Amino acid sequence: MSIKKTDLQQIEDYLWELPRGFRPGMRVPARVYALEKLLDAILDDRSLEQLANVATLPGILRASMVMPDVHEGYGFPIGGVAATAYPDGVISPGGIGYDINCGVRLLASNLEYGQIKTRLEELSKELYRQVPSGMGQGGILKLSLKEMDKVLEQGAEWAVTKGYGREANLAFIESHGRLQEADPDKVSEQAKKRGHDQLGTIGSGNHFVEVDRVEDIFDPAAAAAYGLRSGQVVILIHTGSRGLGHQVATDHLRIMMSAMPKYGIELPDRELACVPLSAPEGQDYFQAMCAAANFAWCNRELITWECQAAWKKVFGKSGGELRLLYDVAHNIAKIEEHQIDGERRKVIVHRKGATRAFGPRFDELPEAYRQVGQPVLIPGSMGTASYVLAGTDESMAASFGSTCHGAGRRMSRTKAKKSVDAAELIRKLRNKGIYVQAGSHRGVAEEAPIAYKDVNLVVETVHLARLARKVARLRPVAVVKG
Amino acid sequence: MISIEYLSHIADTRLRLRADTLEGLFTAGFTALNGLIKPEACGDGSSPLPISKAVSVQSADTTALLVDFLSDVLTAVHEEKAVFCVLRLLSLSATRLEALIEGKPAGGFEEDIKAVTYHEADVRLNAEGLWETLLIFDI
Repeated sequence: MSIKKTDLQQIEDYLWELPRGFRPGMRVPARVYALEKLLDAILDDRSLEQLANVATLPGILRASMVMPDVHEGYGFPIGGVAATAYPDGVISPGGIGYDINCGVRLLASNLEYGQIKTRLEELSKELYRQVPSGMGQGGILKLSLKEMDKVLEQGAEWAVTKGYGREANLAFIESHGRLQEADPDKVSEQAKKRGHDQLGTIGSGNHFVEVDRVEDIFDPAAAAAYGLRSGQVVILIHTGSRGLGHQVATDHLRIMMSAMPKYGIELPDRELACVPLSAPEGQDYFQAMCAAANFAWCNRELITWECQAAWKKVFGKSGGELRLLYDVAHNIAKIEEHQIDGERRKVIVHRKGATRAFGPRFDELPEAYRQVGQPVLIPGSMGTASYVLAGTDESMAASFGSTCHGAGRRMSRTKAKKSVDAAELIRKLRNKGIYVQAGSHRGVAEEAPIAYKDVNLVVETVHLARLARKVARLRPVAVVKG
Repeated sequence: MISIEYLSHIADTRLRLRADTLEGLFTAGFTALNGLIKPEACGDGSSPLPISKAVSVQSADTTALLVDFLSDVLTAVHEEKAVFCVLRLLSLSATRLEALIEGKPAGGFEEDIKAVTYHEADVRLNAEGLWETLLIFDI
């Protein structure tokens, strides 16, 4: 079943719909947020076939949706959003992904680009030293099972109590860095073993620590509320729950595969395996997923501590403190309340490669952000740009308070490795003032800017669609990768 | 005969496995997984393999059995920080497997496979009488 442009109905310049009747089993339509310029690339892979499959999930509400950074995944497309009815709609580990609570955190410094321009190479090397990265690379902490359970229960708070984080940071993290439903007993010993030495590590693949300068301000009022100004130096951290999260997803997918017949669920793709949230298997997964999400928030809090150590080592006291601007997940399921057909309802929102983008007046937000909406952090590729956006009322109405999560891949890793000379790319980036520290040339080639869509077009789409509004564009000046 | 073919996928690793026996298909999956994690690590088979683990899997059908087995091997890779070179299948039926896997410390990985997915997996006998399936590793 290949989907063509003619199968889609254009609703707006930035919104396309595959009608519910397109294929048997779809319970809702499938919606694609993309400018026409992006749509051809989206139609090149199987993203939309996967999106149509998501529309068959029992209990799905309104529509299955993808953001403009969508690309083919396994089961769910990456960049997908699906909300199911609470409590008897399904929860699907495939709708969250293996890297549970992969997400982004932004730290703001007091320094201007001009003040650190000549120290960037030194800073990138120090960040590479302080923040462990790469495959199979452990961190400075080795957690006992007892201590691991505390991390899984307390999330970022654990780092604070152990002196690796700041109490003040918690207010600036989605869900304050702790999902209360987490139950460490629902996480297998294998998962705990995989994660026991991974706190404070970024891993490999598309994960990174990136130093940026604020290049453009689009919304001065929101930027002021977030404490952002032109020329300011900031740090982006992109990573998740590491091997612990991967194992949680693997364990519970297997359980769900066996349990599905009991609930009479048949699906077009095994990787969409799901059960009702209210079922014991659904509850077990949700509580384990929350625990893995807490691990990820604790991980990013520890990495912040490591970044602060690197910052202080390079700039001393004059560098000041790195302030946490915000931390937001893009691979997660949350129980949230949304307005559906004029009625306020609890729903289970799956975001797989999609970012929460809650609008103004959201109680969870720190006071300073409440009038402008939640910060949304969109990393681009290492040679282009990243963005800070703000959540909107319109995203609450249209996409269950969700927006895009990055630039989105457009080239396979294999092709990128064949097309890109990593050493040459590192040299070119350096000539542009971007210092790259990486564990392997192969990793650099796989993540080369050419492998990604144009982040400016992706962001332009969500801005036009009002799924988030542009606040600031960041330009990378140093990148640390595994 | 076993065959491992690498296919295109935008973000992950997609393979087609073929073998003339079901045992061969499981061996192909095992070899592909460990070969990606640390290419050439097993060499000519002459180096000692000090790590040995028993693997026991029961699944709903043969496709799930292959994916679940490889997931267990991947868990062992990460738990032991090892690469596994030898698969000894002690018993294999359509839904159950007992095996011993033998390997050695990897000294770092070259590919971080997050998971073995069920997406597109479909173990079947093809028109040529070979066992065949697609597999996608999340990387």
